Parts: sequence; structure tokens; C-alpha cells
Amino acid sequence: MLKATKKRFDIKITQANSTVGDTFELDKNIVKVHGVLVTSDKDDLLYYRGTQKIEINKEEFFPDNYESKLLMSGINVAPKHRYYDLGGVSPGNGRVQITYNDLDDGRSIFAPYRVSLYLDCEMEDEL
Amino acid sequence: MMKEQVMVTKISVKRQGERKHFQIKLPKNTKFLIGIECGWRLIDKPDAISFKSQLIIGDHSQNLFQRSPLIGELKLQSCEESNWFYSGEVLGAEANLSYGDFSDKGFNVNDCTHGNKRTEEIVKVDAESTIIQGWYLDVLGKSQNADINYEVRVYVWINVEE
Repeated sequence: MLKATKKRFDIKITQANSTVGDTFELDKNIVKVHGVLVTSDKDDLLYYRGTQKIEINKEEFFPDNYESKLLMSGINVAPKHRYYDLGGVSPGNGRVQITYNDLDDGRSIFAPYRVSLYLDCEMEDEL
Repeated sequence: MMKEQVMVTKISVKRQGERKHFQIKLPKNTKFLIGIECGWRLIDKPDAISFKSQLIIGDHSQNLFQRSPLIGELKLQSCEESNWFYSGEVLGAEANLSYGDFSDKGFNVNDCTHGNKRTEEIVKVDAESTIIQGWYLDVLGKSQNADINYEVRVYVWINVEE
């Protein structure tokens, strides 16, 4: 039986104007990735300063310089509609790679912050 | 099989009222342009702090419904029959996000926490020639009567054939 599950992966941004990349592995029993969402513990810094590249199974879904604010949803959006719809992609080897780039913006002052990547997935029930 | 992709183009603006002409090169296997999105980033810290706050939260000192700050105008032209197929405005922060919001105590209404979900503007244009001509006009610098250094990003969503 298939069931919906959400996965969260975090990266830490400790220096201004830096690039941080990481690769995460999805569970083997995940069969589809339906959506993507990015959030942060300091939303304004992610909103104004962030861009990222996201790859799933070595396939690029969002290229370099794609602004993080385009993948964020505020609390005014209904919880069920917050994820960016990918249309149900196969996770392949299950590797999710994010390369996040922090850049100065005149509207924000840097402080270390966390970037969280959420994936809306569908997994096979293990039982 | 058709696949969606997005192309990112940066436009750097430094002078007030600056006009920029640019080209966006598409991959050869592009079939259609399907959507356009825009974003912008302030590179230098502007000296005028009052204007900076307007760009973040809007000015609600008079409790009036206000227009969002206009950053610039963008037009995109295809070499196909459609010619100018996109003409839009690059806007700053949504100025009326907190309009009529009575819960604005302690958790300030802001684009990054209360903003709506972003979606691309849908277009449907053939992409036989793989080049798009673009035109951008600065309004922000002109309205503030200052040279403001910022960067506009144009996202072109395309359908490619694998």
C-alpha cells in the first residue's frame, strides 16, 4: 500500500556569501516525489539572500541561481497547497542534492541560519 | 518525451532609468516556452532608509490601500510570429499584504512569512529560433532619483523534447 510522507533535510549557512552543498538519501521504499518546499529558521534571510540548485537522481529540477523565495510559501497558503508540484517524479537512486548559495542583499543583514528542504513523497508501506 | 526546464538570466542595473537589451539562449531541443517568472535583488545598500523599508513591508502610515513598489518593466520578444509575447512589471514587496489584518501584533506581516505561493505566468510560444530578445527598463532608480545597483532575474520555463 502507498502512503504519503514528508522528508526534511537541513543545511547550515554560517558565512555570508558562501555556497553550501549537500547530498541526502531518500528511503529505499520511496517511489515518488511529488513536491518541494524550502523554509528557514530566519525566513527573511532565505527570502532575500537565497538561491539554490536542486537535483534528484542527478536530474536538475531547479538550476543554479533559482531564487529560494520562488519555492517558499507563507502561512497564508493552505497547508495542503504549500509544496511546489513536481508532478510525481521517480526518485531513481534516491539521491537528492542541494547546492545553496547565499548572496548579500541590501534589504537584509546576515546572521547564521538554517535552510530546510522539504520533500512531499509517496512511499510503499513496509508492512 | 517532453520535459520541463527553467532558464535563468540575470540583468544587472546600475543607473537610474537604465534600459537593457539582452538575449536568452534556449537549448536546441526546446519546443515551447510555457512560463515566465521574475525576481530581483538589491546589491548595494541604499542610503535612503525610508525607501528601503518601503521595499520590505510597504508604508502603512496612512492606512491607505497602496500600490506595490514598481522595480521595472520587462518585455520579451520571440523571433516567431508571436513577436512581443510578454510584457510585465517587476514588483517589490506586496504593499497591501497586511491591509485589514487585525492579527498584526508580535508577528509582523511580511512577504517572507505571509506571502502567497509563487507561480509562473503562463505563456505558450513556439521556440523554433531558440533566441529570445529581452528589454528591461529601470523604474526604481528613476522614481527615487538615484543610481541604485540591483539585479533582476528572469526565469523562462520551457518544454524540451528528450
